[in-house]
Amino acid sequence: MGVRHTQKAATREKVVSAARDLFHEIGYEETTIRAIAERAGVSVGSVFTTFSSKADVLSQVMADRIQPLHDELMRVIPYLRGSTADRLCSLFAVHYEYECRRVNLFLAHIAASFSPNLEATTIPFGQNELFQTMILDMLQDGVTRGDVRPDADLILALDSLMAVYSWNYRLAARNGADAKTLTDIMDRQIHLLVDGLRHRPSAAMAL
Amino acid sequence: MNAMSNLVPATAPVVQPRVTRRTLAKQQTREKVLQAARRLFCERGYEAATIRDIAAAAGMSTGAVFASFSDKSELFDEIVADDCRAMVAPMKAAALAGASVEEALLGLFSVAHRYQVEQLPLVQAGMAVSWTRSKAGESDLRSAILPIMTLLNDVLRKGVDRGELSQQADLQLLSGILWDVYIAGYRRAVFDDWSAEELTEGLAARMRLILDGSRAR
Repeated sequence: MGVRHTQKAATREKVVSAARDLFHEIGYEETTIRAIAERAGVSVGSVFTTFSSKADVLSQVMADRIQPLHDELMRVIPYLRGSTADRLCSLFAVHYEYECRRVNLFLAHIAASFSPNLEATTIPFGQNELFQTMILDMLQDGVTRGDVRPDADLILALDSLMAVYSWNYRLAARNGADAKTLTDIMDRQIHLLVDGLRHRPSAAMAL
Repeated sequence: MNAMSNLVPATAPVVQPRVTRRTLAKQQTREKVLQAARRLFCERGYEAATIRDIAAAAGMSTGAVFASFSDKSELFDEIVADDCRAMVAPMKAAALAGASVEEALLGLFSVAHRYQVEQLPLVQAGMAVSWTRSKAGESDLRSAILPIMTLLNDVLRKGVDRGELSQQADLQLLSGILWDVYIAGYRRAVFDDWSAEELTEGLAARMRLILDGSRAR
């Protein structure tokens, strides 16, 4: 690895770490590239040799947070017991617990995913296939366990779970709800949704 | 331009004797600013539309805009609240026309879909700012959404009364989930160019799944 390459990697590391702290402390909107450069101890110019924009920095900050969350989930999954709903509750609880440690980052991430000028390099919120696959597998296992009916549309179920999961963060944005509050409401939502996967629509509905 | 204009009954401006010329002028200024802001937010998005641009488009000074609105976010919230108020009546009418809980829900959401796809950049801006909104703005918006949420609850309640949904169904929870899934659908409209019809079809499929757990058995 060349010196230049190592230097670039070191700058990237410093910038991402400084940005992570600033986004969390004073918020994404209020954080300028200049402030990030200052905190990282690098020049504004060198931030721009590595990142195309503030949105790009945020995207990298979030990308770096995926691996630790993934590791936490993988540690938890082997110990999950109970119904499909119970298992999903535990999985989403880990997500909330993790993201609420630095919730401003996550809120900025969701907000940015609706930005009209998304760049090609940014990975918008909700597009992480790794996490989606985990949830889908869990639903799929429910068919084997017998509490999810075989012909249930699991993709639609996943989509609905993701919708409520992300919009629950409004409670964090609006009145500073903590991980516990978000988890409690998500638990109820999961049970309601997964109940619909278990039962066949009753015959009365066909009349 | 406004997809709703043919659905909302036109009301003649009520001029009460106590309304002075000055309050009327103020009201007109406010309307002009709101119209210009709506157009610019649609064309450029929330961030790119500055108060200065909005003032220029409305043909007035920046100061005159600030006389009516304290900042850009208040202006934006007022537009969103206006839309909510405009949508309630036609949503209610569509819900009444539905024979089943599912039809009624789809009816009311399809009204909203048709209305909102006409102004997607505004919807997109609304979703982006809702994560950083001030508490005051959020509560204004909530009071504007409240009649829609009440309508949603009424439709579900009727479903229980008609024996379609279980007596034990948690209607509050159910309407919350339906709303989240409805809102999340706009992401498809924004990024995958879903039409109003596709949005309604997509919601229909998700709605069946969501209602399944609460059906009367």
